[in-house]
Amino acid sequence: MAEAYFPVGPGLGPEENFLSLEDILMSQEKLPGRVEAAVPRLAAVLGKGAGAGQSDGIPEGSKVEIPLWLAKGLYDNKRRILSVELPKIYKEGWRTVFSADANVVDLHKMGPYYYGFGSQLLNFDNPENPEIAQTILQTFIGRFRRIMDSSQNAYNEDTSALVARLDELERALFRAGQKGLNDFQCWEKGQASQITASSLVQNYRKRKFTDMDG
Amino acid sequence: MDPAEAEFLAEKELVTVIPNFSLDRIYLIGGDLGPFNPGLPVEVPLWLAVNLKQRQKCRLIPPEWMDAEKLEEIRDQERKEDTFTPMPSPYYMELTKLLLNYASDSIPKADEIRTLVKDTWDTRIAKLRLSADSFVRQQEAHAKLDNLTLMEINTTGTFLTQALDHMYKLRTNLQPGESAQSQDF
Repeated sequence: MAEAYFPVGPGLGPEENFLSLEDILMSQEKLPGRVEAAVPRLAAVLGKGAGAGQSDGIPEGSKVEIPLWLAKGLYDNKRRILSVELPKIYKEGWRTVFSADANVVDLHKMGPYYYGFGSQLLNFDNPENPEIAQTILQTFIGRFRRIMDSSQNAYNEDTSALVARLDELERALFRAGQKGLNDFQCWEKGQASQITASSLVQNYRKRKFTDMDG
Repeated sequence: MDPAEAEFLAEKELVTVIPNFSLDRIYLIGGDLGPFNPGLPVEVPLWLAVNLKQRQKCRLIPPEWMDAEKLEEIRDQERKEDTFTPMPSPYYMELTKLLLNYASDSIPKADEIRTLVKDTWDTRIAKLRLSADSFVRQQEAHAKLDNLTLMEINTTGTFLTQALDHMYKLRTNLQPGESAQSQDF
């Protein structure tokens, strides 16, 4: 029951959780943008041209696709190095899809960190920010029912079809619901009072073989 | 909380047993347990009742609500009402499981009782999910649910609190917050 590792969850606001693995993976997602000021000698860093070498710069106004962590670091209202565009799923067209019916969208394909990434986008000043925030919230509310029902009703089945269209945040919720259900069923069958080896101890045996050989 | 912990709390409930041994009053920290005389019913906590039954020292008497007709009435009423009806015992699920596991011989129509209790449980859990969904959908600030038992709260609790946490964080995004501090070079 006691876990070897207690994971830090993602921060869902404008600030990420530094220690959260999900946030670290999420900030690797790419963001389209445009370079406003000339950036000398950093073509390789910003992903432009593998053959260009390090001495080339990027002219002003050229489009780049950079990871979120880099965009957050370079973005500054005063120095104007970078301007950020919204990825297409946060734009007007997709927003109307979400408001029509949030359940049909395959959020895993659209970027497995829809909610986290969307919350981070609010860091960059953008006139559409309130609508983006509202859409993200409404999408979550709309999909909540389906996650709740599927996680609490699927006992001992293959759940890969159910989670295929969920993004990472929703998958974590799904796992929490499944855990509640599994614990209850296991208690009802009487397995809760059976003594089983802890998962920590089961790993000890696996390591001992190398000690014996050496 | 695990189901096992809820079961542990449920074991404090009193049930009637008929012992086949005799013993004077015993004084425990939680309270006194009355003198045991063979053939005379006495009220003991469930943990002791189950233990005695396993050692074949007593006969368990089912609580008065554990009866097929009563449970059928409860189940039908649960299905009719939109809100939760008060259950005969705040630990009905745990009591059912323990008594039917250890003392099914002294309970008439044990299978029927098991089915009826499971039906009632399913109805209540479905109502809980419905009310959780409407709570989230309308973004209410707080809700009050009467007559819920601990086991039901445990099964859906973790999921619901996590989902509400996420919703809260997403909702605070809507407020135009103070801009993050930036360093000046």
